[in-house]
Amino acid sequence: MTEENGMISITRDDFDVNEVIGRVRRPDMGALVTFLGVVRDDGGIDVMELEAYEEVAVREMEAIRDEAFERFPIMAVEIIHRIGRLRVGENILLIVVGAGHRKEAFDACEHILERIKESVPIWKKEIGEGGERWVPGESHGGDA
Amino acid sequence: MQVRVRAFARLREAIGGDLMLEVPAGATVSMLLAAVGETSEQAEEALFEENGELRGYVILMHNGRRVRHAETTTLTLADGDEVALFPPVAGG
Repeated sequence: MTEENGMISITRDDFDVNEVIGRVRRPDMGALVTFLGVVRDDGGIDVMELEAYEEVAVREMEAIRDEAFERFPIMAVEIIHRIGRLRVGENILLIVVGAGHRKEAFDACEHILERIKESVPIWKKEIGEGGERWVPGESHGGDA
Repeated sequence: MQVRVRAFARLREAIGGDLMLEVPAGATVSMLLAAVGETSEQAEEALFEENGELRGYVILMHNGRRVRHAETTTLTLADGDEVALFPPVAGG
């Protein structure tokens, strides 16, 4: 794997999905699977504040990318996770996986997403009319 | 010696932000956590149960590496170390 086929970033800026797909795609890929996570209107939510332990989060996403390359016969991965204050409908997370065929591209994309939710130190706070609330983590706490 | 404490999400709010704490040479992670608890009532309550045990949901990292609760009494700190405290992650 080189810099060219495995970019990882945490950013406050929005991204252009087509531009990312454009830099991931290559003629020998038959499938590009894209996951786009956005801020959902859960009723009464105006904005979401995302916070990261940035150095560790980047390192963890790099490890998840490397693990995906080991487990699936894929050709490229790009992951962009946004932080900061995001409104309903705004982009949060983009995962693009390029592979020869659809199956490994879908499987790798889902695997990467589930691993991000499980272990990357990023947190979300929902802010709306009813006040503020930290979104509870899906994974175990300190001793697991 | 000085140790940097970083806290995130609800623990950052309870502790009030990152801290630089002065601890004696050879201090363990447990001793550092006790010192963090002493900075305010909110910090104490966020980190510890009524019986003084570290709350189960608190995740610890020492210089970017995960520390299990059972290790906190034996793992010693060095000057300039960074200890991070946070609740279960919720990204994606």
